[in-house]
Amino acid sequence: MIELEMQILSDRREGLLVELGRVVVANGFTLLRQRLSQDSRGTWLVMIVRGAAERQLALEEELATHSRVLSFEVALAEGGTLPAQPAPVATRPSMAAAPSAPSAAAPEAGPDVRQVESTLPQLARDYPKIFPWLLTLERAVAADAREASLQLAGRRTGAWVYKRDYAMGAKLGLPDAIKRIAVPAMRELTTVDWRDGQLHIQNSPICSPGSHSGCRFFSGYLEGVLGGSVAPQTVFVRSLYCRSTGAGSCILEISH
Amino acid sequence: MPEHQSYNLLLVVLSYVISVLGSFTALQLAVVIPLAQNGRQRTAAVLAAGAAMGVGAIWAMHFIAMLACDMGMPVTYDVTLTALSAVLAFGACSLGLAIASSGTFAWSKLVLAGICMGLGVTGMHYLGMAAVMMGAFISYNMNLVVASLAIAVVASIVALWLAFNLRGPLQMIGSALVMGVAVCGMHYTGMAAVSIDDNGGQLPANYANGMRGDNLGLSIFVVALLLLVVVLVLNHLRQRRRAMISI
Repeated sequence: MIELEMQILSDRREGLLVELGRVVVANGFTLLRQRLSQDSRGTWLVMIVRGAAERQLALEEELATHSRVLSFEVALAEGGTLPAQPAPVATRPSMAAAPSAPSAAAPEAGPDVRQVESTLPQLARDYPKIFPWLLTLERAVAADAREASLQLAGRRTGAWVYKRDYAMGAKLGLPDAIKRIAVPAMRELTTVDWRDGQLHIQNSPICSPGSHSGCRFFSGYLEGVLGGSVAPQTVFVRSLYCRSTGAGSCILEISH
Repeated sequence: MPEHQSYNLLLVVLSYVISVLGSFTALQLAVVIPLAQNGRQRTAAVLAAGAAMGVGAIWAMHFIAMLACDMGMPVTYDVTLTALSAVLAFGACSLGLAIASSGTFAWSKLVLAGICMGLGVTGMHYLGMAAVMMGAFISYNMNLVVASLAIAVVASIVALWLAFNLRGPLQMIGSALVMGVAVCGMHYTGMAAVSIDDNGGQLPANYANGMRGDNLGLSIFVVALLLLVVVLVLNHLRQRRRAMISI
């Protein structure tokens, strides 16, 4: 069992605790303590929750992509006390939910949450020119945490892009969401082509031949950017081919 | 154009501009309906979008176009029917937008919503025409009346598809331009269906109590001003919210 401290920023106070509390409970966590406060940016909700470690990622993903959530940060709870006042996300680095040093990767090859959390503000600042930051992240995490960390960074970035640029309009079915949301969003990052039900990524800078594959970032990104539109269904993205292993282009398959 | 009608081209252009401005405002309000967190928010968003579309894009456009049209004799408008025409447009558009924005996008919903909006545009027009009081009889060419309804329905479906299914600049601007075509296309086709027959100069009983063109001009100015304010405030709020969303 783990205890997590979550800091959430929303634009409205009404019903925030009820809605997010439901997400916490639905993921098998217990809400231990919570605090709501207001500042010039909006309403801050700090929650301390307890639950199974293996459900942590699912809970984080669901909260981070929730429509009420403008900003989301998670850390291992220390002593179970609530901080006096939540600090702005950009200036308060999270505690690691998984070991952060490259030499001490998470036991089940989970993501290096601290490294990912510290990279996310850079990705937001320089978006869409984010590949140098992804290469830095790739080098900063342990080898067996690399893919999961790239995927988590991708999901968080994709969910953020969806909320920022694509949330307005009707919920779409997966085929329409791919055409109207995923492909244009991917085109901001790199050259892509959607054909025969597969996404072809040309010359991905994070999948150069002979190096590591960066396709897990794109998989996470697509899951994040599509997740909001096709919810409550879950989107799965699978890498079929990657340039890093000698293929002409990276090919991803999207399903739900 | 029927012989008994002549148009002020500047006002005709303005009628298209107001219909696009109203549609733009309405569709900007409508595309966030699916993001509503509860029933109250959703109802408020639907009603706001319906008001902008019904009163701003359709009703105001209709009466600017009526001011643009010189029918060769003085005209006044029955106040009750004029108000009812605005209510009809508001109600039909709210219903159409509520249908189009509910759940996951589907063609069946889009067609139903387009029919509601098209009927709203057409119903408003012909109720607005029923409010016209002058010393003549008005009759219609039914083929053109049906054509005007078809234009309103088809163009409404296209505008709603653009607004709810697309993302990006085409969603924002394209849908408003097409909805402007729906409203104006319907109106001017409907006007082409009109025949004015002499009734010996006999004016309706409450002709003198009817609303005159200059009163209408003031009402339309207020509507246009409100629409502009809504667009500006909405744009400002969206920019602020966008900047606040952190990764």
